Amino acid sequence: MEGQRIGVYVCNCGTNIAKVVDCEEVVNSVRGMPGVVAARCYKYMCSNPGQEMITQDIRDLGLDRVVVAACSPRMHEPTFRKALAAGGINPYFLEMANIREQCSWVHEDGRAATDKAIALTRAAVRRVALHEPLEKRYVEMNKATLVLGGGIAGLTAALELAMADQLVFLVEREGRLGGNLARVDLTAPYLDSARDLLTDRVTRVLRHPGITVLLEAELTELLGYVGNFVARVRGADGAVRELPVGSVIVCTGYQPFDAGRVAAFGHGRLPNVISSFELERRLKEGKVLTDKGRPPQYAAIIHCVGSRSEAWHPYCSRVCCMTALKYGHEIRATHPDCFIYDLYIDMHAFGKGMEDFYRRSAEMKTIFILGGKNTVPEIRAAEPRHGCEMLIKAHDLLCGEEVEIPADLVVLMVGMEARKDAGVVAHLVNISQDRDGWFIESHPKLDPVATTTDGVFIAGTCQSPKDIPDTVAQARAAAARILARISRGQLEVDAVYAEVNEDFCSGCRMCNELCPYVAIEYDETKKRSHVISALCKACGTCVAACPSSAIKGRHFTDEQIYAQIEGVL
Amino acid sequence: MAVMANPRLIGVLERYGAEDVTKCYHCGNCSATCPFSQEPFLFPRKSMRYLQMGLEERLKGNLEPWLCYYCGECTEQCPRGAEPGETMMSMRRWLIGQYDWTGLARLFSRSAFAEIAFVLVIALLTGAGFLAWGFTRGASLVDYQGFIPAADMHVFDLFLGLLFVGLVVTNALRMWWLTMRGERAPSAGPWLYLKHLLLLPTHFLTQRRYGECSEKTPWVLHMIMALSYLTMLALVALFLHRLQDETWQWPVHVAGYLASIGLLTGTAYALSGRLRRRRTALKHSHRTDWVFLLMLVYIVVTGIVQHVLHRLGLGGAANIAYLLHMMGVVPWMIRFPFSKWAHMAYRPLAFYFSHIQADAMRERSAAGAAVAAQPTV
Repeated sequence: MEGQRIGVYVCNCGTNIAKVVDCEEVVNSVRGMPGVVAARCYKYMCSNPGQEMITQDIRDLGLDRVVVAACSPRMHEPTFRKALAAGGINPYFLEMANIREQCSWVHEDGRAATDKAIALTRAAVRRVALHEPLEKRYVEMNKATLVLGGGIAGLTAALELAMADQLVFLVEREGRLGGNLARVDLTAPYLDSARDLLTDRVTRVLRHPGITVLLEAELTELLGYVGNFVARVRGADGAVRELPVGSVIVCTGYQPFDAGRVAAFGHGRLPNVISSFELERRLKEGKVLTDKGRPPQYAAIIHCVGSRSEAWHPYCSRVCCMTALKYGHEIRATHPDCFIYDLYIDMHAFGKGMEDFYRRSAEMKTIFILGGKNTVPEIRAAEPRHGCEMLIKAHDLLCGEEVEIPADLVVLMVGMEARKDAGVVAHLVNISQDRDGWFIESHPKLDPVATTTDGVFIAGTCQSPKDIPDTVAQARAAAARILARISRGQLEVDAVYAEVNEDFCSGCRMCNELCPYVAIEYDETKKRSHVISALCKACGTCVAACPSSAIKGRHFTDEQIYAQIEGVL
Repeated sequence: MAVMANPRLIGVLERYGAEDVTKCYHCGNCSATCPFSQEPFLFPRKSMRYLQMGLEERLKGNLEPWLCYYCGECTEQCPRGAEPGETMMSMRRWLIGQYDWTGLARLFSRSAFAEIAFVLVIALLTGAGFLAWGFTRGASLVDYQGFIPAADMHVFDLFLGLLFVGLVVTNALRMWWLTMRGERAPSAGPWLYLKHLLLLPTHFLTQRRYGECSEKTPWVLHMIMALSYLTMLALVALFLHRLQDETWQWPVHVAGYLASIGLLTGTAYALSGRLRRRRTALKHSHRTDWVFLLMLVYIVVTGIVQHVLHRLGLGGAANIAYLLHMMGVVPWMIRFPFSKWAHMAYRPLAFYFSHIQADAMRERSAAGAAVAAQPTV
């Protein structure tokens, strides 16, 4: 520690910090600490003048360690690391003390907050003295991509990558491409044919030399790490192929809710109660008739079957409302005199062209019946005197009446749910699922296609219910993320990760099981564990668990942590 | 008990002028903006809903269309162009058809042919009867008083008036049955009927409620027209011999002139408004609206002409004008109970009934609250 030159910078953050914490007192408290040669206070440390102050001091005063007492490191650690690098010293010689989120924003008592800020800043000074210079590392990246699922998401992602001259392996479990969209007739709100959307993409995928389509194939194992995966895929012939890939896009899609689960609708009991996919099939065949072969006089479309219900799925499936309106238009196109009833609980017309589509549906005299959430219309067979096949008893909130609606055909708008084997896929590629079974993205707003496993991306309805434009956007986004990495050639690996000291490792393999990122592998020949630095997220679980203290967290060494604790005390 | 929905009802109302009711998505802006919408009659949204759903029984028992004076505020505020004001108007036309037990009102609203044929046939029969009456008695056409004596005409007028009153009263009774004795109507005791009885003449004569609209001109002209019409009716029915007297009968003649001026002004205002689509309420004119205004103009003009000719001593010309006048008056009077003009009876009645219902509902909910407040042992 001899000869260290530490600079301490306390940020006012405008008044965010300064109105509670006495920043001058914090500055004074670190003056005279071993190694501290400069201690300053400034209005906004993250501003350009603030950063230049650090850079200038490194040059003028020969600083080799820097402490910034400001906001959370999540916010500005990269900013200040850059300032250190600009000054010519290793960026890891920085430590931040969080005196905003942990002091001024959460305490009202200025005295206590100032004391706490002093303790945190002094701890940072103690810690930074023990920092070691760390360097970023780079690993090679395999440019091929594995796409799981041949629906509209998988097809789009595969094409996007192949168009950029990259190799793609497209693995589809079924014997055909197209996924759920292949079962759809027209699309809302512009009534374009789904087949037109798909056929073009399917032919281009099948024709493209860069795309290897594996039908009736399944992923059985995914080994390796970002940039260097090995995917084991069992093909139609039962043989397992090993595919070396650098990235994976999961586009495994959804499964429709089974309408038979809601007893009151009588699906399976009443012959003229059909699910939306059954209607799609009839529409594609061009024959929308009752079981007696007659054109329906009254068609009722029931929204939110399995969705937005406490009994089934609480979430909205997002596509059913517009699909239901589409059915109104399609049924009317075949039977112009048919009366259309739409039983809904909220009309979600959120996208481009959709509100207009809703208005047009109202204008063509679709009758919309607003039911309450968690109320289920009851369907029963009608008597001959009613002149229709069925009667639907529903509560209409808009006039407060219990009404009986005639119906010859009832269409149940089944929602989307996570495929029942989504858990298996999640386990294979090491990603997580939410409580409804959808795969979880890295950040719900800012990182919607990445996952917690580096190199594994998600797109389409395996992530959450969504319509075609959103699915396509996500698939293209995932492809773009992969292409950005490929264009850099190498993958940057953070300098902060865990390391096993093989001299101390007893080969107990405890850490292998604990690592949430499957970043630790076991070397059978050496009988030692080894951390794959590219996969390690530096969470520290293995460091804490190792009974032999053989694992060191870089940038979080025992000595650094102890020094920080002593500084606080 | 669940009510049966009839999706065909919208199609029926379309023939009465409802056009855009399905565009409504029940935001409720119309009911919020309506100056007359207040508990327990919040309209027009709920009426729009009854129509969309095809709840025919509810619509028949619905007083709300009569509480609306079509100021057009709701239509102007509607974000979807669902024309709530015009929908209420078409419901009034439809309700007139529902109250009418003869079925003629429904026929005339739906078929232009039936309406015009009816008017023409009655007109021709009147003309023929008029001539036959004079000639069979051997009277000369140039003899104004002799051809059709005022005393005879008076008897005929009374007969016509009786027919008119009979039709209006029976239709009004049906209105009472549908609105006050329906499944949804609260039961009201005779005291409530007595308590609000004064509302009937007040609203009949002044249309006071119309005057509460923000724009006053339509109300003033409407009242002038209504009072002129009633004055003329009274003059013809009770003082015909004085009107037709050779000497000046100042009270009846002055009243008659004022009423004629009032009727001409009112119809001119109504016609020009409809032609120029002056207000939201006048943007959509049903055929029956035109037929009635034109008939009224015809009656007033022929009436004035026959009077002037008579005063000028041109007995023959006056008699022919009188004949033409009566060929308008008789079909008009018979057509009246089946037309939009029956609102003269239905509006004051609806206002009267609505007050009774509101009180009955208050009594019922107070009784309900009292029961709920009873301690449970």
